[in-house]
Amino acid sequence: MRMINAGRQALGAMLENKTRTTLMMLGVIIGVATLTMIASAVLGARAQVMGQVEKWGLDQIMILAGSGRKPGVPQPVPTTLKVDDAQTMLSEIDNIKEVSPQINKRDFPMKYGANSTYGVLISGNPNWASVWNTHPETGRFFTEEDAGKLARVAVIGRTIQRDLLESEDPVGKKILVGNNPFEVIGVLEPKGTAATGIDLDSRVVIPLSTAQKRVFNQDYLFMIKAVLHDPVKMSETVNDVRELLRERHNLRAGMEDDFTIVTPTQVMNLASKLSSTFSLFLLLVSGISLIVGAVVIANIMFIAVNERRSEIGIRRAVGARKKDVLLQFLLEAVLVSMSGGVIGILMGLVGLKILAQFLKVPGLIMWAPVAIAFASAVVVGLLAGIHPAKRAANLDPIEALR
Amino acid sequence: MIDVHDLSKTFVKDGREVRVLQDISLTMNEGEFVAIMAPSGMGKSTFLNILGCLDKPTAGSYILDGVPVHGMNDDELSQIRNKKIGFVFQSFHLLPRMSAWENVILPLIYSDGDGDMGSAAEKVLGAVGLGDRINHLPRELSGGQQQRVAIARALVNNPRIILADEPTGNLDSASGQEVMGIFRRLHREGTTLVVVTHDPEVAQQADRIIEMKDGRIFRDHPTTGSGGGGVQ
Repeated sequence: MRMINAGRQALGAMLENKTRTTLMMLGVIIGVATLTMIASAVLGARAQVMGQVEKWGLDQIMILAGSGRKPGVPQPVPTTLKVDDAQTMLSEIDNIKEVSPQINKRDFPMKYGANSTYGVLISGNPNWASVWNTHPETGRFFTEEDAGKLARVAVIGRTIQRDLLESEDPVGKKILVGNNPFEVIGVLEPKGTAATGIDLDSRVVIPLSTAQKRVFNQDYLFMIKAVLHDPVKMSETVNDVRELLRERHNLRAGMEDDFTIVTPTQVMNLASKLSSTFSLFLLLVSGISLIVGAVVIANIMFIAVNERRSEIGIRRAVGARKKDVLLQFLLEAVLVSMSGGVIGILMGLVGLKILAQFLKVPGLIMWAPVAIAFASAVVVGLLAGIHPAKRAANLDPIEALR
Repeated sequence: MIDVHDLSKTFVKDGREVRVLQDISLTMNEGEFVAIMAPSGMGKSTFLNILGCLDKPTAGSYILDGVPVHGMNDDELSQIRNKKIGFVFQSFHLLPRMSAWENVILPLIYSDGDGDMGSAAEKVLGAVGLGDRINHLPRELSGGQQQRVAIARALVNNPRIILADEPTGNLDSASGQEVMGIFRRLHREGTTLVVVTHDPEVAQQADRIIEMKDGRIFRDHPTTGSGGGGVQ
């Protein structure tokens, strides 16, 4: 009963002075909003990476040309990784089921009539669609026959379709990839945005043979993706691939690899390492705003206690015990910071949606950081309120009434 | 009702001991209406604070309603104030942002009874003639009305004793008369009243006047024409 009444009294005091209450909430709002927004973004991105890794399979490895590469980070590509390397891997390593040798180019200019845009140009073999589990939703994928005759055919993603062809029927249209005319033969099913921020629907896939002879005039690759029969033997297979490639590239002992093998586990580890570093940073940022928030609340509460001496005296005179006064002021502080927490969470979630739009990261709401943010708001209120509340409780009622 | 024996209060001020009350002994009976008169700064407020359990004596005993309260701790004294004492102050001391009704229920918030707070408050507000003002804020009421809200607040928990510190000091004479009228009525109904005042007209309305000087009781006598007073 007393608790309910104390809460009611505290709520009343909070609503009485809205400007002051808002001011008190500000630090908590900012702290909680950043915590909610960034933690959700980071954890969401991480969850998405994990999801994607699992989706594209734990039975696959990627061999990237160049040493020390990280997926998604652009870097000059050495000329040593060849189509023959891929073919030899397939024929000599038993655990390799399929290979997809590729040349990938980001920000490649695409044109159709007056429309132009940039897309991710991927040159692959006809098995690309099955290896990447990305199939055309309309039209068809290119065939061995297309690849054999170096056909200028392209399968495009939805973003490219929308940007270049607008509402026209895409199949049969001639688009310019760089300066080369290609016939659109299919549109890929939508895949959304990758964890690296790349719009997967801005991909344009053409035959590798055509790309090597007619577009880039190069015989080296950007990467090879390999699908394994038995993912349990992944580390042995990775070793086999390394040995084979080192031998084929004439790398003597002591020389660095001129390629990078990326396994799903590595990607997952990288994602969690990145996110934990980032999380630490954001924890610091929101921690600081929460501390500032606590200091502001404590200060304003001290002022309020001073201004409300006569109220405290009256309450004591009519029978409030010290702990009743303590509870009232403590509840006021907690209520203020809790409300700040709720507002902060709402603002953080709105911010998250906006951030997701701009950075093309998934706007997934992660409930763990929301719960942590709310709990820290309550703790801030308790910590900030306890000293002013104690001072209020220990006021001499006679002095307070004077 | 009130039994005070050899009561003293000493303050330490600027490193010096100041004796505000010295060896006060007196008895007040249930239903008595007592006025305490003293020049300013002669310890009457301190005495009232001790009677009201807001302050503790340095020495001596104070028995209120058969219970020795001089040795009680802060929580116990709060309970006594809540249950047995109603305060009326010179400057009303209402909470400015709360309505008359909310001000009056304040003592009920701090008592553990679970009666109907709202109707109890309405009843006492009606009894002081403010039944039609229960939702007014203090600033929307005249001084006399504010003091009557304060009296309603003092009455709401059915206290054993009402302590009033210059209750008419901030009021014009008409409002003062009204307030004293309510006190006389409460007295007739059997409430024990202690009023501190330096207005002889106010004091004359009591049964008994206790005059203090230099921290001591220097005269204690029944008023002319009133009923019996409990002379010690």
